[in-house]
Amino acid sequence: MSNFTSEIDFNPQYIKETMYSTGRYSYEDTMSSLICENPSMLLVLSRFAITLGQGDKTIDEVCVAHGVDTYTFLSVVNLLVTDTLPDDQNKVLPLSLLKYLEKSHEYFISYRLPDIRRKLSDALCDTTAVISKVIMDYFDEYVKGVKEHMGYEETVVFPYVRKICGDDTELNKYHIDIFKDHHDNIDELLSELKDIIIKYYPAGINFSMSDALFDIYSCSEDLALHAKVEDMLLVPAVKNIELSHKR
Amino acid sequence: MKRRIHIVVASPSHVIRVGLSTIFKKMSSLGADVAEIPDMTDMSRRLRSIKPDVLVVDVSQLGALACQSLRADIAMPSLKIVAMLSQMTDAAVIKNFDASISLYDSSDVIRDKIVRLMEEEVDESRLELSMREKEIICCVVKGMTNKQIADTLCLSAHTVMTHRRNIASKLSIHSTAGLTIYAIVNKLIELDEIKDSIYVGE
Repeated sequence: MSNFTSEIDFNPQYIKETMYSTGRYSYEDTMSSLICENPSMLLVLSRFAITLGQGDKTIDEVCVAHGVDTYTFLSVVNLLVTDTLPDDQNKVLPLSLLKYLEKSHEYFISYRLPDIRRKLSDALCDTTAVISKVIMDYFDEYVKGVKEHMGYEETVVFPYVRKICGDDTELNKYHIDIFKDHHDNIDELLSELKDIIIKYYPAGINFSMSDALFDIYSCSEDLALHAKVEDMLLVPAVKNIELSHKR
Repeated sequence: MKRRIHIVVASPSHVIRVGLSTIFKKMSSLGADVAEIPDMTDMSRRLRSIKPDVLVVDVSQLGALACQSLRADIAMPSLKIVAMLSQMTDAAVIKNFDASISLYDSSDVIRDKIVRLMEEEVDESRLELSMREKEIICCVVKGMTNKQIADTLCLSAHTVMTHRRNIASKLSIHSTAGLTIYAIVNKLIELDEIKDSIYVGE
């Protein structure tokens, strides 16, 4: 019995193969099949500034035409779609990821959250001014927190990443582990607002309220995935560079 | 509203992982969100970010005494750890786990085991807020610090902290702004009592 299991349990090659055996996308798959099968990847396209209308071109062809690193693109897509990490994290390019993450920040702060605010505010027309106010206060305070969170990344973390990716080898006080240890989940407080409204909102639910709640739900999922890209792709890639500088 | 149970299935075996998570996802009565961890070396980190209620782990991947140290490592003392048995295993090893699932259990048996495991938790979260907890919510919403609340209600700061933790877990609300909505909707407090704290902002 033990002979049978030990081979499977402790053979690293086996573990590696099982990780990468399901539904992952590769260079030769068409971009259109990726998007048609996973519509949520539309957001990834817009953040990498890749345009639609690519016919049956492969993912690699489309990425190359748009000046996007294909390996980095596939790492993001496969993490989000199949929850798997790339085979070689050294091949993920931090600078390509930064472009994606910055676009993603812009999407949340300038587009998505203001859009939800508008919908939520419309949806609260059926309730009292007081309840409407405390709910909007929650939302505004939440957005303030998101802006601080993303502002820190844009003014401290991303410039640091750009610096160590360049030839700048001077000693840095900052370290990607500082970011890793302090990276909070910003999706949870948004999701909590949805739960509070679902459990305690006293007025009836109108079309715009169901719409607003659904948007809050999908936005908090999207924020969680955004953080996942930072934690699982950006941090390890930057760590590798830090290690190579030390050597 | 029944709280959803967060279950994580950790096993390098694709068949076991996908099989178990499919079984869990199909049990709509269980109301479970399921995540999978294929890479055991990455398990602690993933658990810390997912914060599940239940971890189902291949027994061969977690040593006999590892349950306690895993809980301590990821700072989740109440995590339920369920052994997935795919081979003959020493009963003394199984005893360290909160429950065990065999490869040959039917899905009904598996569901019952998870439900039983979660029962104490669910009962606890159904408890109503006490008068004291309601008083504390009002103080928090008025913008008082833990120290001020302790002085006003003649409690130790430590007791106030404990109450606040219990309130957060009973209501699943972890922010002052959230407690404000709760307090207003449930008429624990009137707007003019908190005008100062909410108009000025933090």
